[in-house]
Amino acid sequence: MTDIDVSAPGIGADPSRRRYELEETGFKEVPKKWRKFYRHWGGPLDTLAPNEVICPVCKVVIRATRELRPGDKVYCMPCMSRMVVVVAESGRLEAEVIF
Amino acid sequence: MTQFLAQYSIQRWMEMCPQGYLEDTVYGHEPNEHEPAVILDDDDEREAAIRTTVGLVVGERCALAASSGLINAAPDYPSKRFLATQTLDEARHVEVFTQRLFDLGVTADNLESTIDRYANPNLVKFAEVLLEKVAAGDFLAGVVGQNIVLEGLAFSVFEMLEAGNREFNPKFAHTLSGTIADERRHVGFGENRIGSLIAQHPEKKAEIERMQQEMTYYMLAVFADSFRGDDNKPKSAPEPTASAEWHGTNLSTASPEEMEAVLANTVLGEFKTRLARVGIEYQTPRVPA
Repeated sequence: MTDIDVSAPGIGADPSRRRYELEETGFKEVPKKWRKFYRHWGGPLDTLAPNEVICPVCKVVIRATRELRPGDKVYCMPCMSRMVVVVAESGRLEAEVIF
Repeated sequence: MTQFLAQYSIQRWMEMCPQGYLEDTVYGHEPNEHEPAVILDDDDEREAAIRTTVGLVVGERCALAASSGLINAAPDYPSKRFLATQTLDEARHVEVFTQRLFDLGVTADNLESTIDRYANPNLVKFAEVLLEKVAAGDFLAGVVGQNIVLEGLAFSVFEMLEAGNREFNPKFAHTLSGTIADERRHVGFGENRIGSLIAQHPEKKAEIERMQQEMTYYMLAVFADSFRGDDNKPKSAPEPTASAEWHGTNLSTASPEEMEAVLANTVLGEFKTRLARVGIEYQTPRVPA
């Protein structure tokens, strides 16, 4: 395992952030150990939780164990893209690919 | 860049794909799944299914030729290794969709004549534009054409087909969901690899944008042909289901025009954002006749 294998994400144990218990949601596209960190996106009407962000490359929802904040680095294992969380013009959190 | 490429290992591909979501599948679906009787017992429905599946076989044959051809053009071994896994993915896609043609009653003897009969000429042209770049050994244009334009198209089309068949035809939906999972890796490689290469070779942008414009023209023409021909419309439709909802359109009740619109908007919207992310400006194609 390399450091970028760490699925969403190395956010650490920041106590000011709300914590989430993740469970598998039927997403089977990554090895079992990592499945709880991802779920299928339900389309434009799918509301994301504060610990979730959409991978703009492959449209999978990336899930973290803590609420996400701008500047957090996340990793999408299904398409193997690395991203940073940013605030979009709409005010929503989005992920921007790091090339 | 090296760190990014290191992730695309054959070991990782095996853990995710054959040992992961494809484990225990038969031609991409569960062993006990079959085409529904409503398709097999109705000549019009069966012909529509054959026509759709021929389009998938033609597209996947193009992807197989492109990904295998790009291996020797790739400038580094990690890229060659990834393209080797993609080549096997594409060969599997050709196989599972060809198997669906057999399941729909096409025989081995008339496979090629069936493909010739139903293949959309604009899809063939679309493939030719890409394969010309691959044959010339143009890695940068080839990866944009294959992993961003073609895979981006496949990704959206497969997602729409999967949503529309989830309850109506679970066998076909499961075959599609495995190919969608493969496409995620392919578009990921395309964007990540090209994102850095375009920055190194800005002189290639104009040529790549022309290729994108030409491929987009033929892509829109395929959509127009597929949805406007009366003989392409299924004579009956499955009952409306909530799970057939895709990007705000219920695919089990949508008209061909509504399906064409949602697909063209989705694919074009995706193109623009994908190309912009890697530093290429989307070029509007001529409107297909």
